[in-house]
Amino acid sequence: MPEVMHRKLERTATGFMLAIIAAASVGGIVEIAPLFTIDDTVEAAPDMRLYTPLELAGRDIYVREGCYACHSQMIRTLRDEVERYGPYSLAVESQYDHPMLWGSKRTGPDLARIGGKYSDFWHVNHLNNPRDVVPESNMPSYRWLGTTPLKLSDLPLALRAQRAVGVPYTDAMIENAARDAYGQAVPDSEQSSGVTERYGEATQISAFDGVTTNVTEMDALVAYLQVLGQLTRAAYENPAAPQQMPDPDD
Amino acid sequence: MMQLTTGERQLGAIVLIALAILGIAMAAAGRTDVLGIHGAMVLLYSLALLFLLFSSAFGPEPSPARLTRYYDDPIKVGVGLTLFWAIFGMFIGVWAAAQLAWPILNFDTSWASFGRIRPAHTSGVIFGFGGNALITTSFHVVQRTSRARLADQFSPWFVLFGFNLFCLIAVSGYFLGVTQSKEYAEAEWYADIWLVIVWVTYFVLYVRTLALRKEPHIYVANWYYMAFIIVVAILHIVNNLAVPLSFAHAKSYTIWAGVQDSMVQWWYGHNAVAFFLTAGFLAMLYYYLPKRAERPIFSYRLSILSFWGITFFYMWAGSHHLHYTALPHWVQNLGMTFSVMLLVPSWASAGNALLTLNGAWHKVRDDATLRFIMMAAFFYGLSTFEGSFLAIRPVNSLSHYTDWTVGHVHAGALGWVAMITFGSLYTLVPAIWKRERMYSAALVEVHFWLALVGTLIYVFAMWNSGIIQGLMWRTYSPDNTLVYSFLDTLLAMYPYYIARAFGGLLFLIGAIVAAYNIWMTVRAPSAAQLPLDEDLPASDRPLDGAAPTPAE
Amino acid sequence: MFTHETLVEGSKMWGLFYLVGFSICVLIYTFLPANRERFERAEREIFDKDDGPWT
Ligand code: HEM
Ligand code: HEM
Repeated sequence: MPEVMHRKLERTATGFMLAIIAAASVGGIVEIAPLFTIDDTVEAAPDMRLYTPLELAGRDIYVREGCYACHSQMIRTLRDEVERYGPYSLAVESQYDHPMLWGSKRTGPDLARIGGKYSDFWHVNHLNNPRDVVPESNMPSYRWLGTTPLKLSDLPLALRAQRAVGVPYTDAMIENAARDAYGQAVPDSEQSSGVTERYGEATQISAFDGVTTNVTEMDALVAYLQVLGQLTRAAYENPAAPQQMPDPDD
Repeated sequence: MMQLTTGERQLGAIVLIALAILGIAMAAAGRTDVLGIHGAMVLLYSLALLFLLFSSAFGPEPSPARLTRYYDDPIKVGVGLTLFWAIFGMFIGVWAAAQLAWPILNFDTSWASFGRIRPAHTSGVIFGFGGNALITTSFHVVQRTSRARLADQFSPWFVLFGFNLFCLIAVSGYFLGVTQSKEYAEAEWYADIWLVIVWVTYFVLYVRTLALRKEPHIYVANWYYMAFIIVVAILHIVNNLAVPLSFAHAKSYTIWAGVQDSMVQWWYGHNAVAFFLTAGFLAMLYYYLPKRAERPIFSYRLSILSFWGITFFYMWAGSHHLHYTALPHWVQNLGMTFSVMLLVPSWASAGNALLTLNGAWHKVRDDATLRFIMMAAFFYGLSTFEGSFLAIRPVNSLSHYTDWTVGHVHAGALGWVAMITFGSLYTLVPAIWKRERMYSAALVEVHFWLALVGTLIYVFAMWNSGIIQGLMWRTYSPDNTLVYSFLDTLLAMYPYYIARAFGGLLFLIGAIVAAYNIWMTVRAPSAAQLPLDEDLPASDRPLDGAAPTPAE
Repeated sequence: MFTHETLVEGSKMWGLFYLVGFSICVLIYTFLPANRERFERAEREIFDKDDGPWT
């Protein structure tokens, strides 16, 4: 008798757990599953290029330092945002972003289209001490970036992992990742030509931190900042009109 | 004395040795990578626990009389860990708040820069403080409401120490620059895998204990704990799927990209709020509130209805974090609709709590502990109302990206999560340590006012700064140009950032007062042993003469 | 096989049915007269004077 009773009790508990799972899983499935067919409908961007190894390294530094905690990379479809930051962000623009860095708080301004807005020199000064260029800023200084050499040897692994999650890096790109990173940060070196060959003529090759004797984390981060919003022209080509400021009662 | 049997001691030793070997392997593979440092930490952690275990390993078998009592030793340790993480996490919060007002406060070091300590704050308070509070109280509640002892003596320790190892690895990682950047899921792949193991053990322990219950019905508080355990497991696994550079690297890339990643992330993020910061704490509410007020819950049925409402609706609401973004429109609208619907079960819970107190308001007036719980229910109602409001697209167009969100977060985090936790701790501590009451009722009173004033300063400062900044961003001059530069709007924030840091400081001091008060309660000699029949099973007294195991 | 539109339509419709069905089940469970007694017991259960496992 107690045996039977015991089993009945456990059946209650199990049924109950299944009910929790049943209740809780629908919402996610309904909203997430269709997003994987989104390519059917969303804009295509045939001109989209991949991050170079140097830019990818810079992106990893952006993640490491938690820049996303204060800067968004998602211009919403609102008129004031479009006027302040540029055409609103499209889904394609982050199709290769593992992870996405849209952010949720703007302690500082949006960075989705920061690429090309300032000079490399400005960025280096700003990162070394933001208050040198913007006296009222509350952004931390990142002095150590300019003195820390970039770990080039990890780059092929990084590209390979990116390919494993779906970014179409070629074998040649993976093989030459470290060379390409060097070549992009040291203009006119023999490694430079490979970068434009693999990533396109528009790729910026520059001594980002102003020093060409070594490749630092500053080079990588500035290279990344300069390419934000520049991977494809899709957002500039057919910008639909941004939404007016919503009325509170719409 | 942890009452472990010889078999359990051996199992513990084996697990710890395996963990130590894992630590050595991580250290060897990772070398100078942070993975190597974490390997060393795992090694030290398991050696320290092994030392603790061995220092009592060769004692006699525990007396069988232990099985006639609840297993409260892990709860005692859990209370200490909860308080440690509370103070640590809130200290980092105050520091982060101060950095936004005075940016030099990172002293030009990499590890203390805002972007690194912010996740240390969020993980420290959510997982360290909140997580330990949930595990600790769940061990207490499940035993009392099931009238059954925890199913075994090894897994509670494994869950508790395993979870704290996760917190340690996660938080130390952020200082060292290891993060996935996913909000509230920043910990890297190896910590995530470890958490899965811990969580499965937790789940199994909980279900086994429930299966031992002597009551046919599962009390509603356990429903919330179960939902918390199950759903957090689902969320955690899906959101953290990632490919590491190699097994020797801490760094990994998530398998999700772009829009899909954003939706998965906020499906996770919002439900971390729902099932970590809400469901488990509602469980505390449904147990400690009636207990403390000595009144049954106003409507048990209502608690069931709101349970299913919360479990069902929350999962749809995540997309309100992505209004006006590149996420397809229909998903945003679904998220908005369900967020508004969520108000119904949320207010049902808050109302149920407040109505329970109807007729006991004199107790609320006299008893600061009950007042903590009452305030928590109030702030729960407030922050869920605010949340549903913020989820409406036009409102969100103003609030998103501003401090209004941060104000909402802390109305929930300080007013609801922290207050219900402290109210529960003040109820739990005397019960577990068999004291008549807390060491000092006056200090509980002091803590209450520090917490309340701190929360109000924090929340009002952020409401102001958020709304001001949101409005400034969209102010147009008559000739249709934007009036304020971004910098103008930042300048307007400074006074509020200073106020927020001050409010947070008050809250932090309150937590320190609580820790002191609890410490003194524990230290005080167990003045009056509670009468036997309060402490022991009514139906089956222990064998005569078998001394009850002393409480440590 | 599936286009984006059909999938979206399908999931929205299915989700709605699910919601309605689920709510009905929960309401039945909550107000089923047979359950009344156990809920009333549960409400008071936590005040029972004892603090040890029943064996
Ligand atoms: C002493 C009290 C506290 C202070 C001073 C404090 C301060 C802060 C600060 C400065 C931030 C960053 C805001 C920003 O980026 O602009 C933050 C974020 C956050 N805090 Fe706290 N905090 C405190 C307590 C808590 C507690 C107890 C919890 C949770 C239980 C919590 C949960 C969070 C969360 C979830 C965020 C992220 C918000 C978001 O992403 O929008 N905080 N806190
Ligand atoms: C009915 C219940 C609730 C709803 C509908 C809701 C809705 C929202 C909305 C619309 C946002 C702003 C998203 C954005 O613009 O970025 C938000 C943010 C947030 N809420 Fe709630 N909320 C609710 C309850 C709570 C509670 C009780 C807590 C805490 C204990 C909480 C914690 C948070 C956190 C941590 C965030 C910040 C996420 C981030 O950006 O990092 N929410 N919530």
